Amino acid sequence: MPRPPGRRDRPDRPDRPEHRGLLRRLGPAFWLAAGWLALVVAVAAAADLLPLPRYDETLAGPPRSGPSAEHPFGTDALGRDLLSRVAHGARVSLGVGVGAVLLGLAAGAPLGVLAGYRRRRTDAVIMGANDVALAFPAMVFALAVVAFAGASLVNVLAVLGVLSVPAWIRLVRGTTLVFAEREFVTAARALGARDRSVLWREIAPNVALPAASYAFVGMAVTIVAEGGLAFLGLSVQAPTPTWGGLINEGRPVMETAPHAVLLPSLVMFLTVLSANLVGDRLRALTDVRQSGLEPVRRRPAVPLPAPGQVHRIEEGALLQVAGLRTHLPTPRGTVRAVDGVSFTVRRGRTLAIVGESGSGKSMLIRSVLGLVPGPGALRGGRVYLDGRDLTGLSPERMRRVLGTRFGAVFQDPMTALNPVRRIGVQLAEPLRVHLGLGAKAARARGTELLASVGVPEPARVMRRYPHQLSGGMRQRVTIAMALSCGPDVLFADEPTTALDVTVQDQVLRLIRRQREERRMAVVLVSHDLAVVAEWADEVVVMYAGKVVERGPTAALFERTRMPYTEALLAAVPKLTDPAHHPLRLIAGRPPDLADPPAGCSFHPRCPYARERCAVEEPPLLPAETPGHLYACWYPRDTGARAPADTGSGTGTDSDGRGLDGPCGPGRPAAAGRPGDLSGPNDLSDLDEGADSRGR
Amino acid sequence: MTAVFRAVRLLVVLLVVTFLSYALLSLLPGDPVGQILGGAATPEAHERLRRELGLDDPLLVRYGSWLGGLLTGDFGTSYITGVPVLESLADRLPVTLELLAAAQLVALGVAVPAAVAAARRPGGPLDHALTAICFGLLSTPVFVLGVLLILVFAIKLKLLPATGWTPISLDLGWNLTSVLLPAVTIALPETAVYSRLLRTDLIATLQEDHITLARARGLSPRRILWRHALRPSAVSLVTAVGLNLGAMIGGAVIVETLFGLPGVGRFVVDSIFARDYLAVQGGVVLISVGYVLVNFAVDLAYAAVDPRIRRA
Amino acid sequence: MAGSGTAHLRPAGEVVLRVEDLFVEFPAGRGRSVHAVSGVSFDVARGETLGIVGESGCGKSTTARALMQLPPPRRGSVRLDGVELTALRGEALRATRRRLQMIFQDPVSALNPRRRVRDIVAEGPRIWGTGADRVDEMLAAVGLDPATAAARRPHEFSGGQCQRVSIARALVLDPEVVICDEPVSALDVSVQAQILTLLERLKERYRLTLVFIAHDLAVVRNVSDRILVMYLGKTCELASGDALVERPAHPYTRALLASVPRGGLGLPPADRLISGEPPSPVTPPSGCRFRTRCPEAGPECAAVEPVMRRIGEDHWVACHRPEVR
Repeated sequence: MPRPPGRRDRPDRPDRPEHRGLLRRLGPAFWLAAGWLALVVAVAAAADLLPLPRYDETLAGPPRSGPSAEHPFGTDALGRDLLSRVAHGARVSLGVGVGAVLLGLAAGAPLGVLAGYRRRRTDAVIMGANDVALAFPAMVFALAVVAFAGASLVNVLAVLGVLSVPAWIRLVRGTTLVFAEREFVTAARALGARDRSVLWREIAPNVALPAASYAFVGMAVTIVAEGGLAFLGLSVQAPTPTWGGLINEGRPVMETAPHAVLLPSLVMFLTVLSANLVGDRLRALTDVRQSGLEPVRRRPAVPLPAPGQVHRIEEGALLQVAGLRTHLPTPRGTVRAVDGVSFTVRRGRTLAIVGESGSGKSMLIRSVLGLVPGPGALRGGRVYLDGRDLTGLSPERMRRVLGTRFGAVFQDPMTALNPVRRIGVQLAEPLRVHLGLGAKAARARGTELLASVGVPEPARVMRRYPHQLSGGMRQRVTIAMALSCGPDVLFADEPTTALDVTVQDQVLRLIRRQREERRMAVVLVSHDLAVVAEWADEVVVMYAGKVVERGPTAALFERTRMPYTEALLAAVPKLTDPAHHPLRLIAGRPPDLADPPAGCSFHPRCPYARERCAVEEPPLLPAETPGHLYACWYPRDTGARAPADTGSGTGTDSDGRGLDGPCGPGRPAAAGRPGDLSGPNDLSDLDEGADSRGR
Repeated sequence: MTAVFRAVRLLVVLLVVTFLSYALLSLLPGDPVGQILGGAATPEAHERLRRELGLDDPLLVRYGSWLGGLLTGDFGTSYITGVPVLESLADRLPVTLELLAAAQLVALGVAVPAAVAAARRPGGPLDHALTAICFGLLSTPVFVLGVLLILVFAIKLKLLPATGWTPISLDLGWNLTSVLLPAVTIALPETAVYSRLLRTDLIATLQEDHITLARARGLSPRRILWRHALRPSAVSLVTAVGLNLGAMIGGAVIVETLFGLPGVGRFVVDSIFARDYLAVQGGVVLISVGYVLVNFAVDLAYAAVDPRIRRA
Repeated sequence: MAGSGTAHLRPAGEVVLRVEDLFVEFPAGRGRSVHAVSGVSFDVARGETLGIVGESGCGKSTTARALMQLPPPRRGSVRLDGVELTALRGEALRATRRRLQMIFQDPVSALNPRRRVRDIVAEGPRIWGTGADRVDEMLAAVGLDPATAAARRPHEFSGGQCQRVSIARALVLDPEVVICDEPVSALDVSVQAQILTLLERLKERYRLTLVFIAHDLAVVRNVSDRILVMYLGKTCELASGDALVERPAHPYTRALLASVPRGGLGLPPADRLISGEPPSPVTPPSGCRFRTRCPEAGPECAAVEPVMRRIGEDHWVACHRPEVR
């Protein structure tokens, strides 16, 4: 089935160990269902050996008697033992179910794989035939064939099996297509693998699980279909009992002996339910990383301290964020995505928030806007706009603030616009909702807005859908939407990450121009230090949900204090550096926010870390430039750091290649002390660090 | 795909479907001659009748003349009852159409609000309850469901008739009571399918950036859910509405028999038992063509639901 | 400007990979086609790193796939050590595979989620029957501990580690040329530095020849000896990294460099060097494909397609009005 494009990729995080037990991942319901299926199969197989009356023995007990010790399922209108009849009926149901699945699989899977892997003409032919096959009304067709060809087990099985083939082809082809487009298939072919080997080793293992899952679902479908045929009297003929036939036989005596209908129905229901459940749980396993059905454990997170604290409202600050925290309960524990962040922005200024993925910078923005996702997320701290605390507002009043005073632009302009609504409708909506404009006025205003953000032919673009615009144009439209109600603060979360560099320049230029024209404050979130250095007045550097350094852009980049900021700066290649200029390496990986290290959260990766760093968390300390703060016990470029690690390391890895001296000409502050960065940078050291940590 | 291409494709599919259903039913063992003449007739009589009925002609010729009849509205006349097949089908079609339409209406009418309610809080108690109910409904065969509903509503509570049909032209109220139980019987399993699909897609849509941004624009949750999230999530649902029509027709065959409704499904079943080949063929063709046409319409409906598909 | 031509190619004896007049097209429906790569030529000497840079839609990734013959280009020549790859089919082509390997952009999609890391890396040796003994060595060389890492599956690794596995898989067959298609663009800055450093180290250790494709100029500048700038399926400029950054001659190269924030190259603001957005590759402009966005464009640019010509020591440009300093 077609799915809207643009679903989110998984974030770049390691997962917990795989071997958590299949048992737990599948859940108790799976095992119950599988147990029931096994029981039914066993009973069907051993029906003749069980100490039961013969299924066709009339007057084995009094007719129409309810369940008793002698006849656990009671008897039917002719006094036949119902349990025996149900047990023998299971042979037909399961036999047809399993047989049809095997038939469908044997015919459908190869065709599906072929269509999905070869594509083009093969695909067109197979799927064309499949479309025609799907057009047949399966049930009616099965009825006719069985009626005319004879109602034997083999005929029923064959018809239902053949009728299940199109669904198999669809499923297998769909799954194959998904994986055949993945780069690992290209990689296998690049290695020189033959087609057969690619199909067998790369694609088959990925198709196997969905196919296994569908085998059970298909079995459920077939059992129901066979039941339907039997109910109409067109499955295996009397005297052999079938489940559908039993239910049909019980119908006339429904009023006096309801058990004759209800008990076979219940057995059939449980069997079909079990097959469906097993199929569903197996499908959930397809997600290799994590089964979707695992309930998010609602362990009560430690409530964040009551926001009774009164913060000093900074003079002249348009937006002030004070001690903001966002904690998310997850199965692994509470993730401290944002952990006590404070900053202020003035009108007409741009504040940048910079950090790597997982640093909490995007969550910070959502938290400021009050858009914390999911149930159970906890938010603490305050957000002041013009000195007014927003965290205490009712949802309705907060929406008013969001609509009229804040604007937001997100990373991917592809997903930031609603794909099924016209630009004009989307652009006019906030104008109508928040400013109460009429349809016509809102349209006119929307067109003006588009023109103001540099969209050519705005009136035409108003009638377009998002997918008809280029990435750059889409981002201009989202900016126009963010600006529509004249916000005081514009939040731009990675606004150019998905864009090309020349378009990035245009968009950032546009944001700056709008800021100046509208006297807004801009909060710019980015992972790109160069973007931040070029376009921001002030910078906040985040690491593991905390602010580790903040201050005016020039001071922060030229007199960097925090080792993380320094390392990040030196890790980025620069145009002005010569070719093959060594880059600064940061050992290890960002901490698990559910279990952050004690003390300074950067200390496990910090080349200058000492005992105190692992014990005591550094507060934000003032540097000499006003407004420049850093969180470090042994900051760079001051007397506080003991020179224990300078000059000692040779900075040479096993291949004899020096890794020191990563400070190029563009970094005056760092240029004077090349020795500083050398010691801990041995590459093999670093790699081990990357792998042994957090596993 | 251009409109012309679609239309040509539709025609081809219709041709193939009619031919295959004609061919398959013709090739199956047993023929109408024995049915008409009874067991006592001589082989010569068989032979004569076969020739008269044109059963000795090659398959393609027979198909050609049959198709020619179809196109002029002549589905042939039943050998058994002597009634033109088209007439019989025309009598019964409104019943089946009303049944299917009512069932589709009930299914969507229940599934959409249920899915929206569940998607608001994924993993919440309502969501869990709905998932469990859906699994139960998905696993209940139509005939079991129908029997249970009759047992409860007709026999125990005596609220609704167990069987019988009142045409809409006779009395609207009675018509509705007679269609209610059968329609609900067909609808409930489909409700489960629809609400599961829509719920899953809604949850995925609600996590997308444009929804977060809509919230950031200060729009109310209700507006976001119904105006922003529902339509981008509806593509799978629309597909299912078309594809599941096949399952619903299968359900209608059983339900019409179970509830004694004079619909196309029951007509086909009766004709099968009577070995009334022409009638069965007519019924199968009518159903197949209806199914193909509905799915053609669904293909067109995609574009209305999701403009991205329009150009693809 | 953005044009074609082969004047910049070196004598066949000096290079290991030589690409001449490469064309790749895709069907775009209704009988039209996307002109993804149109007449691209370049060569790579042994031990050299050639960087290919350009924005999305310039055809750089398509070029990478065409080099691998996955799928083969529509026309043009790809010679590896003098062997014409485009002329080979079936088994003959397959036999050349091990000499030309590729590293992909998306580290997650590039690894089969159902296979263990050791099996992924050992797949090449399994196919060719050699090099099985190098699997552990390769894992160690890319910074993974063979003892613990090899039995895990890709989803247990971070993006950076997955990229290391990809690199090990590509190198275990001891290829002559490795094509890196945006190998670091999905990674964080600190991980990017690790992977770039790793590639440089492996290149020296195994004397590799690299074709390094990326959209990030600074990254390409860091790893490459020579840089080729592409625009809309055409070549614009080819030069050593120093010459390209210090004396960019093509208007598009200049715009690209000026757009890099904090590039520090003293170029005019980017909005004066380039305007608008790239045209559709289905209906590319006549003459020079860059002319619709070029502030320097004149009438000859629409009429005549510029070809690569020499403007300095190992410095080539396809432009009628280059900025030569």
